[in-house]
Amino acid sequence: MFERFTKDARSAVVDAQLVAREAHSDQIDTRHVLVALAERPGPARTALSDGGVDVAALVAEARAKIEAGDALDPAALAAVGIDLDEVTRRTEATFGEGALARAGRALRGRRKHIPFTADAKKSLELALREAIRLGSKEINGGHLLLGMTRAESPARRILSDAGADLDRIRHLAEGTSEAA
Amino acid sequence: MSQQALVASAAGDDPADGLRAVRALRELADRLEALQVERARRLGWSWQEIADSLGVSKQAVHKKHNRRI
Repeated sequence: MFERFTKDARSAVVDAQLVAREAHSDQIDTRHVLVALAERPGPARTALSDGGVDVAALVAEARAKIEAGDALDPAALAAVGIDLDEVTRRTEATFGEGALARAGRALRGRRKHIPFTADAKKSLELALREAIRLGSKEINGGHLLLGMTRAESPARRILSDAGADLDRIRHLAEGTSEAA
Repeated sequence: MSQQALVASAAGDDPADGLRAVRALRELADRLEALQVERARRLGWSWQEIADSLGVSKQAVHKKHNRRI
């Protein structure tokens, strides 16, 4: 499938890894790919901005949400009776300021490859189907955008939370991606 | 979901909340382990001593932490 990807689609997949690394994510979901698509000129960004999305605001919002989804989730720990603030305070008393965050970065940095979630893999398969449906031999960024907005996904939720007109954006993405 | 709502479902009637807690606990344990092992090595502990304290084999702890420390 990847041999059919255009340069912009390949870049988006590679850049999604960087987005994940910067946010200390341990998985790549469709939001990471969406950020990568929105940050680069290409059919996906064109469809988003022509569809009335404030691309810079969308990227900032998506990055913030990705970072809040850190594996070390304070609310999830509180649910089993662990006060992350207290753990952090005691840990820093021995290991210095920012020790837990530093350890998290060290663990992430060790992993060469950050895996895609099932949802992100599915969105790439759907992108292929969208390309076939539109009669395109290649899969470009527009198809990736169509793939991640075709069904419910974290990226689709970010877009709808931002008030994006999904039907219009999908229509525009189809326009830029038809028989590309 | 608010923190309070999560606490209310502490034992986890929703598997999603329970699994998220497990994931966070594992992440916390991994980070604490990394910090503790690094410090023990700096204080001159052998890999065997660290392995015994963690209840794992020397090979396991060496493989997991040697590259980083």
